[in-house]
Amino acid sequence: MSGVVLDGVSKRYGAVTVIDRLSLTIAAGEFVVFLGPSGCGKSTLLRMIAGLETVDGGEIRIGARRVDHLAPGARGVAMVFQQYALYPHMSVRENMAFGLRNAHVPADEIDRRVAAAADALEIMPLLDRKSTQLSGGQQQRVAIARAIVKQPDLFLLDEPLSNLDAALRMRTRLEIAQLHQRLGTTMIFVTHDQVEAMTLADRIVVLNQGGIEQVGSPMDIYLTPRTEFVASFVGSPKINLLPVTVEAAGEMTRVRLANGAIIDTAVAAADLPAGAMTLGLRPECIRPAALDGAPLAARVQVVERLGERTLLHVVLDDGTPIVAEDSGLSAVRPGDRIGLAVQPERAHLFDADGLGHHPAQRG
Amino acid sequence: MRFGRTHPVALTLIVIAAVLMMVPLFWVLALSFKANAALMADTNSVFSLPYTLANYRTLFGDGQVFRWIMNSLIVSLGMTAGVLILSSLAGYGFARLDFPGRSVLFVIVLLGLAVPEQAVIIARHQMLSLVSMHNTYGALILPGLSAPFGVFLMTQYFRAIPRDIDEAALLDGASRFKIFWKVLLPLTIPAQATLGIFTFLSAWNDYWWPLISATNKQMFTLTVGIASTQMNFAQTEGLGFLMAQAVLAGLPILIVYLFFQKYIVQAVAGAAGR
Ligand SMILES: Nc1ncnc2c1ncn2[C@@H]1O[C@H](COP(=O)(O)OP(=O)(O)OP(=O)(O)O)[C@@H](O)[C@H]1O
Ligand SMILES: [Mg+2]
Repeated sequence: MSGVVLDGVSKRYGAVTVIDRLSLTIAAGEFVVFLGPSGCGKSTLLRMIAGLETVDGGEIRIGARRVDHLAPGARGVAMVFQQYALYPHMSVRENMAFGLRNAHVPADEIDRRVAAAADALEIMPLLDRKSTQLSGGQQQRVAIARAIVKQPDLFLLDEPLSNLDAALRMRTRLEIAQLHQRLGTTMIFVTHDQVEAMTLADRIVVLNQGGIEQVGSPMDIYLTPRTEFVASFVGSPKINLLPVTVEAAGEMTRVRLANGAIIDTAVAAADLPAGAMTLGLRPECIRPAALDGAPLAARVQVVERLGERTLLHVVLDDGTPIVAEDSGLSAVRPGDRIGLAVQPERAHLFDADGLGHHPAQRG
Repeated sequence: MRFGRTHPVALTLIVIAAVLMMVPLFWVLALSFKANAALMADTNSVFSLPYTLANYRTLFGDGQVFRWIMNSLIVSLGMTAGVLILSSLAGYGFARLDFPGRSVLFVIVLLGLAVPEQAVIIARHQMLSLVSMHNTYGALILPGLSAPFGVFLMTQYFRAIPRDIDEAALLDGASRFKIFWKVLLPLTIPAQATLGIFTFLSAWNDYWWPLISATNKQMFTLTVGIASTQMNFAQTEGLGFLMAQAVLAGLPILIVYLFFQKYIVQAVAGAAGR
């Protein structure tokens, strides 16, 4: 088990800089998720750590060792690929043993490790099958088992769940979490699925255009997004973003929407820069309320019943669409005109640079 | 792909076609067991006794035939092995290695596909004369080793293997050669089989180049050797003998087909159905 240090690493393809002087420290035993939209450089960064891409600048250390000039096989890492990348002509057992043989692990030790990993992932009955004779889910488990037998210092997983169906994805997600708890090995997991990131990560690294947007625990990221990009990328349904002007500042900041409506936020006014702002409201902090006295009035367009909660897709008088949330047994119906109440302590403000300002977090 | 029961009409048509294909082969086989004189009188004599092994006895009589079969085997197997090795290495190189001039070189290889043997045969003959190589196995094998089709086929085949697999092996601590040898090459076996059969058969059947290069009877391949034993008027006066020669020359192809049927069918079906 080792920590990982990325120190100002860069990657260029020709004139295009894909990763730009990125620095990050990952503690030993941590489960870190790289989260970001397609093309932001998640895979590239992971592959640089694995040694599958060269590093154009900076340093990578795993444990105390500088690894950026070492061959992939010498870095003590194991990787699970999105398409599994099993060796098609080898049996499951041979797939798992291949790396150990290359490392000259004694045969009886190989047998023992393969058996243990196969047992843990419940693929014992598949050991003598060809990897082409497995279902997608089974191939996935073999790919994970093949990584485990190597007992690496660091696991790298590049969107390992994206080819599984929804049910299997949830189950495998849970298993990966359990695996991490059991092995305690440092893991880096790449995904563009924020639910995966939220459920698995000790810390999430949100990437955007080759740089780090924010690093923090899932709840940090969710409750205090550093930028508007993070706020809109994390959370489903998406956060509502509304242009506002600051009306009155004090203990609470009072803002005015384009349509004149006044909303109170618990953001401390002291550290707000001047100028136009964007108000960020997650759907769960906008609730239906009695029309009189509610700060916002809106017409309901679509009612999306999810069982334990109900999403209300509404439009304000000036046509701005908003998503609000109600309890599972909501009586609201499409076409209704309703009032909306906002929880001030869950409102976010983003300044012109996209930087977030949040209400002080209470213990 | 699997089909259900073949439709009776289709089955009948297939059987008829198969019989039509086989009639000439049986005709050749039957004629080869008849005396030349009997056939000269009337080819219908093939339907009646007596049959004889005389033609085969003549064929094997001077012992040269064994020498020629040996030569053909050495040339065909040598060429097949050489083509497989070179095409695999070149294919891997084109598919996986980044080197300056790669695409230009690949285009040059493809241009090789467009050059007919006839166009270069005189130059080739002179070249080998210059180094005094005629009447050696080298002269018979070496020209066949420039196999643009093989290089092209293997390049495409290696390209179709996802790079993830190389990378997984790299992370498993395998060297470049080990990845080629243990991981990628086994995946190309169907292509190797196709290319191998193709090369072997065309080398075995080749007549023109061995005819030009090998002037010494000891270095004849089977095709050239058999032709050299034909007398004048073979079509009329030596029909039985001629047919025995044809049987002998065709036998190895039959054997290759029987052994590699699966791969030949795959290759043909692959070309049609992909
Ligand atoms: N070999 C290459 N040559 C040029 N550009 C490349 C190459 N590989 C990747 N890129 C570029 O680098 C950027 C980052 O790619 P990367 O694969 O890391 O994205 P990603 O975050 O993993 O995206 P996804 O979620 O779609 O997998 C992309 O803009 C991509 O176009
Ligand atoms: Mg990716």
